[in-house]
Amino acid sequence: MNLCHWVVTASLLVQFSFSAISNAAEVGHLTFEDDVQPILRRHCYRCHGSKNQEASLQLNLRSAAMGLADSDEPIIVKHDADASLLILRTEGDAHGDQMPPDAAPLTKREISVLRLWVDQGAPWPNALAEPKHWAYQPITRPEISEGHSSKTAIDYFIARRLKQRGLAMAGSVDRARLIRRGSLALIGVPPTPAEVQRFVDDPSANAYEKVVDRLLESPRYGERWAVPWLDLARYADSNGFQADQIRDNWAYRDWVIRAINDGLPFDQFVVDQIAGDLRENATVDQRIATGFHRMTTCNVEAGVHPEANRVNQVVDRVNTTATIFLGTTFECAQCHEHKYDPFTQEDYYGLFAYFNSTPLEVKNTSGVTWDFYGPTMELPRDEDAARRHRQLNEQLARLEGDRKEASQASDEEFDQWLSKLRESHEVAWKPLVPENFESSTGEEFTILDDGAVLLAGSVPDTVEHVFTFAYDQKITAVRLDVLTDDAIPGKGPGRGDSQRTNIILNEFTCQHLRGGKATKIKLQDAAADFSQSKWHVSGAIDGDRKSGWAIAPQFGKPHWASFVLAQPMKLEGDKDRLRITLSQFYGRGRVIGKPRISVYSGDTTFLNLDDSLRELAAKKKLNKADTAKLRKHFNKDNPRIRRLDRQLADIKKELQTSKPDTTLVMVEMDQPRETAVMIRGDYENLGQKVQPGTPAALPGLESIERTGDRLELAHWLTSPENPLLARVTVNRWWAEIFGTGLVSTLEDFGTQGEDPSHPELLDWLASELIESGWSRKHVHKLIVMSDAYRQSSRVTPELLEIDPTNRLISRGPRFRLAAELLRDNALAISGLLSDKMYGPPIMPYQPDNIWRSVGRNQPKWSAAQTEDRFRRGVYVVWKRAAPYPSFINFDAPDRGSCTVNRGRSNTPLQALTLLNDPAYAEMALGLADRILSDAPANDDASRLEYGMQLAVARRVSTYEISVLKDLLDREREMLKQNESMISGRTKVPFREMSLRFKDPAELAAWFAVANALLNLDETMSQ
Amino acid sequence: MSITPTSLGRRALLQQTGFGLGAFALSQLLQSESIAGSASSKGTLAARPPHFPAKAKSIIYLHMVGAPSHLDLYDLKPELQRRNGEPCPKELFESGKFAFVRDLPNLLGTSTDKKYQFTRSGQSGLPLSNLLPHLQGVADELTLIKSLHTDEFNHGPAQMFMLSGFGRFGRPSIGSWLNYGLGTENQDLPGFVVLITGNVLGAGSPAWGSGFLPSVYQGVEFRSQGDPVLFLSNPKGMVPKSRRAVIDTVNQLNREQLLDIGDPEIATRISQYELAYRMQTSVPELMDISAEPTSIHEMYGTKPGQTSFANNCLLARRLVERGVRFVQLFDQGWDAHGSVFNNIANKARQVDQPIAALIRDLRQRGLLDSTLVVWSAEFGRTPFAQGKNSEGNDTKAGRDHHKDAFTVWVAGGGTKGGMSYGSTDELGYTIAEKPVHVHDFNATLLHLMGINHERLTFRYQGRQYRLTDVEGHVVRDILA
Repeated sequence: MNLCHWVVTASLLVQFSFSAISNAAEVGHLTFEDDVQPILRRHCYRCHGSKNQEASLQLNLRSAAMGLADSDEPIIVKHDADASLLILRTEGDAHGDQMPPDAAPLTKREISVLRLWVDQGAPWPNALAEPKHWAYQPITRPEISEGHSSKTAIDYFIARRLKQRGLAMAGSVDRARLIRRGSLALIGVPPTPAEVQRFVDDPSANAYEKVVDRLLESPRYGERWAVPWLDLARYADSNGFQADQIRDNWAYRDWVIRAINDGLPFDQFVVDQIAGDLRENATVDQRIATGFHRMTTCNVEAGVHPEANRVNQVVDRVNTTATIFLGTTFECAQCHEHKYDPFTQEDYYGLFAYFNSTPLEVKNTSGVTWDFYGPTMELPRDEDAARRHRQLNEQLARLEGDRKEASQASDEEFDQWLSKLRESHEVAWKPLVPENFESSTGEEFTILDDGAVLLAGSVPDTVEHVFTFAYDQKITAVRLDVLTDDAIPGKGPGRGDSQRTNIILNEFTCQHLRGGKATKIKLQDAAADFSQSKWHVSGAIDGDRKSGWAIAPQFGKPHWASFVLAQPMKLEGDKDRLRITLSQFYGRGRVIGKPRISVYSGDTTFLNLDDSLRELAAKKKLNKADTAKLRKHFNKDNPRIRRLDRQLADIKKELQTSKPDTTLVMVEMDQPRETAVMIRGDYENLGQKVQPGTPAALPGLESIERTGDRLELAHWLTSPENPLLARVTVNRWWAEIFGTGLVSTLEDFGTQGEDPSHPELLDWLASELIESGWSRKHVHKLIVMSDAYRQSSRVTPELLEIDPTNRLISRGPRFRLAAELLRDNALAISGLLSDKMYGPPIMPYQPDNIWRSVGRNQPKWSAAQTEDRFRRGVYVVWKRAAPYPSFINFDAPDRGSCTVNRGRSNTPLQALTLLNDPAYAEMALGLADRILSDAPANDDASRLEYGMQLAVARRVSTYEISVLKDLLDREREMLKQNESMISGRTKVPFREMSLRFKDPAELAAWFAVANALLNLDETMSQ
Repeated sequence: MSITPTSLGRRALLQQTGFGLGAFALSQLLQSESIAGSASSKGTLAARPPHFPAKAKSIIYLHMVGAPSHLDLYDLKPELQRRNGEPCPKELFESGKFAFVRDLPNLLGTSTDKKYQFTRSGQSGLPLSNLLPHLQGVADELTLIKSLHTDEFNHGPAQMFMLSGFGRFGRPSIGSWLNYGLGTENQDLPGFVVLITGNVLGAGSPAWGSGFLPSVYQGVEFRSQGDPVLFLSNPKGMVPKSRRAVIDTVNQLNREQLLDIGDPEIATRISQYELAYRMQTSVPELMDISAEPTSIHEMYGTKPGQTSFANNCLLARRLVERGVRFVQLFDQGWDAHGSVFNNIANKARQVDQPIAALIRDLRQRGLLDSTLVVWSAEFGRTPFAQGKNSEGNDTKAGRDHHKDAFTVWVAGGGTKGGMSYGSTDELGYTIAEKPVHVHDFNATLLHLMGINHERLTFRYQGRQYRLTDVEGHVVRDILA
């Protein structure tokens, strides 16, 4: 049956694939507005339009176009294309230079459209006789004539347009698909099987409306709709450029989510972001919102010129503002008058002036090194945290006083210490030869006679080296030598890079083994011959996997570190063992090439004393400088001071971690900067002075309170007279829900943009937005409640010919989910999705070595070992130089600049990502576990049906079940013969995660089924 | 030839394979009808004819990240050596902009030590540093441009400017422009491949990004550690046979869906899953250089399994052999603000042999005429000394960033070879004759690929964008 079906359709496809061109133009539906003017606009108006009239020719004016060229030849001869200069000059160069002279020629199709139009008598409606760009006209709420049968206004406009083309709306989609479509569109998460069932079974007339209302009130709604907004706002968690360090602005992201969930009116949403700080009695939220324009990239590589950097940032703010709120390409006017649209360079710098009075965002630290700086705001904290913070500061002050006092201790104590020092001997470290040695990655190694271990073979990214010793003497201290050797590239001590032979020892752990039990030996007082800045050796015994000991730039020579046991201990060699673990987690092969362990059993007071000090102490007579030097060391060795230092370090550490979170905000300088036109966009070549102002071609500032600052601009942008804001906004929402905008060029509403497919619908929606008090939820509800949205997305070959991209809305939307939502969807299906909201960005799994940019203070990736791993994509950290790779594979932008329209590709890299990315393998395992644990019945068919419903919501066919059952059976068989594969498939990604279903072999077989389910085109489409 | 969305129709959408766009994106793109005036019905990464016939079919673009001291490799200045240690002429210093040096510095001539001397090389007698002995052996293939200049003097912006014609983010890189304009010859591989030694350059992945072009044109990094292409290998415990079974199941269900819904995007999806499966064998095979003969390994200095610039040069040849349009190598570590003579000697030793081997190897295979090799960086280095690092501490003499005059070279692909073009003044400070701006250079690279840089445009935000903005003149004197 199915086979037959396929054959029949396949022959249909072939038939259609060879059908001739058939489109509106050829079948006689040609209109000037839809077909001809766009061609003239694109190719001709640049030189023959309102702005320029090369050869005195103006083709956007009917009277002129119907007249004579300066050669006295007619431009357009009605009903005679062959005599029309318009045709002759664009077709070739037989009648003078081919037009346009400096760009791609017209396509054959375009010329044939022009020909047909001229041959049909060149009809040119009166309404369009003179140039008036539609987007700059006031929004007029269109009339809806009586007597139509459409359920909603949206449907009225769409049905009318379809009727003009001889089409009608498609039938309704079934309920299961509808609730899935609506859920993905509104909250970006699929419905649960129970939600589907409830809707399918709901007999009430407003069943669907109830679903829509529930979705609009879900906290997931804000998370989903924040995603496209964050693209516009170029939200990222890093600076961009070289020195692409992480900076804290996640509070802005959280503000966006909250504002959308709370239904903040869209005009207020805009005002807060542009100028929340300047509002009267600005709230914390309004100030956080201004982070919007702090998302701009900031180059802090050494040697940057701060003013150039600042100007670039302001330019970005101007361009982004114009793109998002005006749908206008303002960028051109930075250097010269806009070629197509009615904007001048003065207009550009008028907008520039609004943004020109915020302080520099880089700070000189030393030499020509710059750090990211600029205004930040502390986020409010709860009272407990604030109280603790105050306590800590008080303690800190007290301890610092004690420390000062202790350092001035009596001479008597010092003299005692000095005589003890004089009696002390040089420390005799005893190297130990390990009884056993292991490298966690299985490196090759040789244990040398002196106890050193020489490692060889391929260099691991990260490793743990484990020594076991049999020793039967007292131990008071342990020492690690990292030695050099000619066998190590660059001599070592690190193995990973022959140029920079660094090592990074994150943790040095000492354990006492007896009878299979390991007890941790507490270490203190770490010392080393040298520690890299910010990588002090004390980090190797602080229990923090991220800190540690490193030795750059002292490459190519041996180094040592020593650690004192908190309590001296004695091992019994016949039953005790000493185990020492060197944990090296940094990555990139910063691993030790030749370690050696030694022990010491004496007094540790003078353990790491510099020889020069011992010599100094031996001197008969000490001068003032000698005493000061020794005294300094005495203080360091004084137990009381040591204790105080430890307490101080603890408090400082807690203060550091308990510091209030901050976020980036806009702040106006007391003295505004003067703004002048930058000649050819060069900030060092200034022309005439400019005051803050809005573009002359758009409605003026008459009704706006003239404050001359960003608040004035924000009020102007959101004023009812601005015809653009509402239009571009509803158009972007429409595109998010339908896949394409009513104006397909979401980013350009200027004369070079596409005309709206449904101009009246666009204006109707825009006026609904304004009249509803700028309610996003209201407009979203209108759209998804329409019959147009509820159409089936089935498409026939005939329909595909007439309406290939669904611009006529002749069917329901169907398109692949955006990157973050694709991941959210898969996480939800697999049952792993965490609903934890807000806070600092998260790191799910990503392959090693993605974050490895040049530049200082580069952050490191450390995959979350908690539910954070499975939170929504909107919370994933965004590093501009290396964004999350699976997002990039699905068209996510780098967020270096404002992105209006991501595009939607379909590539083999996407297939590889969903099939193989370990992050998606984790989801497949979760889904397998969910199916096996939660399916309503335990037979294969019920489970497969349940799995499919999780993935695609609708009822599934027996054929589909049989295809999946084949896979399941084959996999079971295969795993029977290859049991070793089971553990690979069923290993949980981190310790705290557990599986409910306990039969690994079944889980492993269902893993393959789950992997298939997450890869279905239907699963990844809405 | 021109194609309309409707004539392309269903056939193309269904037949489309390879690194294609989605049907949706494709139709969007074709609606804009701006793809260099032509597009193939086989999908937008299918090979497309250039604007005019050209020898070069592919580019291997070697970018030395951090910017080498061109003065010590290609543009020897005896007068600068003679005046070594003298203060830099004030009017010169004050006319320029520098990243690190803020006070009047002293001139720094190339070391007079023997190993830094230059030798006239090849029949053309091109003077090249003795730090590049292998490159001296292929001097007659090289066309040096000694008069390049750029607009930016910080790494990140200058890298973006060199590679995308714009000093900030958001514009397509040259590789993605060519991928967009010409498509690629091998539908089973990306048309634009990136290979990296050292850390990733400061501009990050946007340096091979597609900006506002469809993302299918962006570069794909082939990695020498871990999966060569991200997510190429199967999850743990999944053998190829199981992978095949999963893909068969997915495609079977997708076909069922295609029959029901009719969305051509599903057909594309099916073909992409097949291609993904093929890539799982073809990419590792491509990346495995162990089967290359010993003579090749000796010539390049390659060792299988290693991460090295030499290995990447050999991989570049293997990629263009397989029809990849644009191969970009990034090699980091050239930013010699201190100890410039040590740095340049070390780095030159790492790249000299493999680059010369690449040129010879392409020549012996008859591929050099159809492959344009480009050696470049984001800017050059100053003729004066930098004696302090970024924190303001004293260091051994280095050179600061110099945007106003530097040297790059091209080889093969329809260039003359054995010549240098343009020159700098006696101190190597400013351009003396025949300046070549980055836009001119990029216009020339496109021209060598058969592309009129003014006609390779993409409509975005209502403007026809180009790699060369509104400028750029082809440097005709270097064309064969």
